[in-house]
Amino acid sequence: MRSFELSPLKNKEIPSKIQELLTDDLLNYVIIKDGHIIKRELSENFSKIYIDSYENALPDKINVFLDTEFCNDYQDDAYEYNVENVNSGLLIHIPRNIRLEEVIHIFYIQENIDLVSNTRILLEENSELRYFEYLYNETSGSINFVSNSIVKENAHLSYSGISKFNEKSVINITRNNYVFRYGSSKYNIAEVNDGLTDSKTNIYLQEEYATATTKTVAITSKAQEASFTQLIEHNASDTEGFIENYGVSNDESALIFEGVGKINKNMKRSIARQSNKGIVLGNNARLDANPLLLIDEYDVEASHGASIGKIDEEQLYYLMSRGLTLRQSERLIISGFLSPVLRVLSTDTLKANFIQSVENKTQ
Amino acid sequence: MSTLIINNLYAEVEEKEILKGINLEIKGGETHAIMGPNGTGKSTLASVIMGHPKYKITKGEILLDGKNVLKMTVDERSRAGLFLGMQHPSEVPGVTNSDFIKTAVNARLEDGKSVSLFKFIRQLDHAVTDLKMDEDLPHRYLNEGFSGGEKKRNEILQMKMLNPKIAILDEIDSGLDVDALKIVGENVTKMKNDDLGLLLITHYQRLLDYIKADKVHVMMKGKIVKSGGLEIIKRIDTEGYDWIKKELGIEDARVIEEEEQKRFMLGSCATKDALGL
Ligand SMILES: Nc1ncnc2c1ncn2[C@@H]1O[C@H](COP(=O)(O)OP(=O)(O)OP(=O)(O)O)[C@@H](O)[C@H]1O
Ligand SMILES: [Mg+2]
Repeated sequence: MRSFELSPLKNKEIPSKIQELLTDDLLNYVIIKDGHIIKRELSENFSKIYIDSYENALPDKINVFLDTEFCNDYQDDAYEYNVENVNSGLLIHIPRNIRLEEVIHIFYIQENIDLVSNTRILLEENSELRYFEYLYNETSGSINFVSNSIVKENAHLSYSGISKFNEKSVINITRNNYVFRYGSSKYNIAEVNDGLTDSKTNIYLQEEYATATTKTVAITSKAQEASFTQLIEHNASDTEGFIENYGVSNDESALIFEGVGKINKNMKRSIARQSNKGIVLGNNARLDANPLLLIDEYDVEASHGASIGKIDEEQLYYLMSRGLTLRQSERLIISGFLSPVLRVLSTDTLKANFIQSVENKTQ
Repeated sequence: MSTLIINNLYAEVEEKEILKGINLEIKGGETHAIMGPNGTGKSTLASVIMGHPKYKITKGEILLDGKNVLKMTVDERSRAGLFLGMQHPSEVPGVTNSDFIKTAVNARLEDGKSVSLFKFIRQLDHAVTDLKMDEDLPHRYLNEGFSGGEKKRNEILQMKMLNPKIAILDEIDSGLDVDALKIVGENVTKMKNDDLGLLLITHYQRLLDYIKADKVHVMMKGKIVKSGGLEIIKRIDTEGYDWIKKELGIEDARVIEEEEQKRFMLGSCATKDALGL
């Protein structure tokens, strides 16, 4: 990665919509706006880990991250642009044997610059981190957001997030994750952006017994187009990967799920499963799921399923037969449908915020 | 006290006539039982009263206290006091039982009002205990992974919470073991009062051992072909339906007979395939 220059921060204000989320029960958070940390509230436990922005990062820490060069092997145009032009991001380093049960919440806010963010998370052997990110802007902008995480032997990463960029944004998100022996990662991402979105999660199971789950919940509305790609590549035997996608497309929007389970030759006894579920709400909306299994080995278990359609008529009838209006019934069914990700949000305010975003998009 | 009146009701599904002139009147305080062989239109009648969108009414009327039920949407019917305990209740993943019931209870209140959370939880708790249901049941997802018996009890739980004026229970006894049947029966009996009219659809007399019925109707070929007192059940229980069929001069009591049924089923499966369902 090139050394980079930060553009100076215009002001340190926290947008009111973010301020509302900072309730008393939201513990441990960092707010980073246009590349600068503007607030940092972390409990004593977090002193055991390293977390900072590039502008404050210690050179030896940067070296730790740069030593993991293979992260840079990933290639696509947006990613290359990111590496060349990065102007925001965090370095998070969890030393060996440190297991943090508290969730760390990171708010990434884009305001006055086009955001090119690159966050690196490194979990050393036998460590654990619960990470949550909230990606947000209010006006417009080009967003290029990358996170690279490395989960070393027997380490465990829980990575959840809400991404909520505005209608005039052009959004490119890439989340790369490398998991080593006995390591595990769980991704739970809610995508409630209003803008044109291209989001990719790439998980590489690098050594035996590595496991990963990626759940994505995505809602598209109005004339939005959004594509969500989940890749789990098995580069070792005895690895397990699960992809679950839940989508709702409203109005005349188009939502695409691309799910790829790739098991390379000799990666025996690996498991690749995938499920795609979708509700097409708008009469002119589209929702496509293209599950793909690329398997070059016989001794594996693999499956995929997709069920996409209108909201279930029998469920609607059942709820309405108890007096719920059509709108109430739809809302309940959709929030239930999206609950796999809703459940992992840490505070009621965050849950309510997510539900509100869903309601705004499913009117 | 409420009255539900069904006058000369005809209904069809997928262009097939299922109900062929139903007449029935249920008053608050009364308990009616409908019996009849499989495929004679019992569940269809229940669905039509509740307003299931698949069925088309071609003739007749349904009145609840003089109001035209057929003009109401499904949720309006519920709020007007109709309740249907379904033969096959839907599963709704991700929606907890208690969230669902709370929303349903609130839907009955004036705009903007809602039941006090404390009161609601206590009431739900009592109902769960009365029905000897699992304590964690309110927090489980609506009917998802419930056993047949749990689903049926859950229907009664909702009925207890919603206090309907006219309740139709469609095969509430199917899938229940003896103990569960007793619990459900006793709970329904406890709910009986002058403001509640009950319509029980069942295949078995044993349900009626727990819930006393005043009137018994037999359905065949989409019609009520016989009405009377408990003596009818006794006879059905020992002799089956043959004597009624003989009286009517029919062999097959079903609305849609064997050959036809096959074709019909094939037809609907084929369209399902085409839709990719
Ligand atoms: N939604 C539907 N789609 C297609 N056919 C239907 C539908 N509902 C009812 N039918 C048909 O109507 C006939 C009557 O069905 P119904 O479920 O009312 O019978 P029932 O008397 O309740 O039977 P059972 O005792 O088995 O519950 C059957 O032939 C059935 O296949
Ligand atoms: Mg039936």
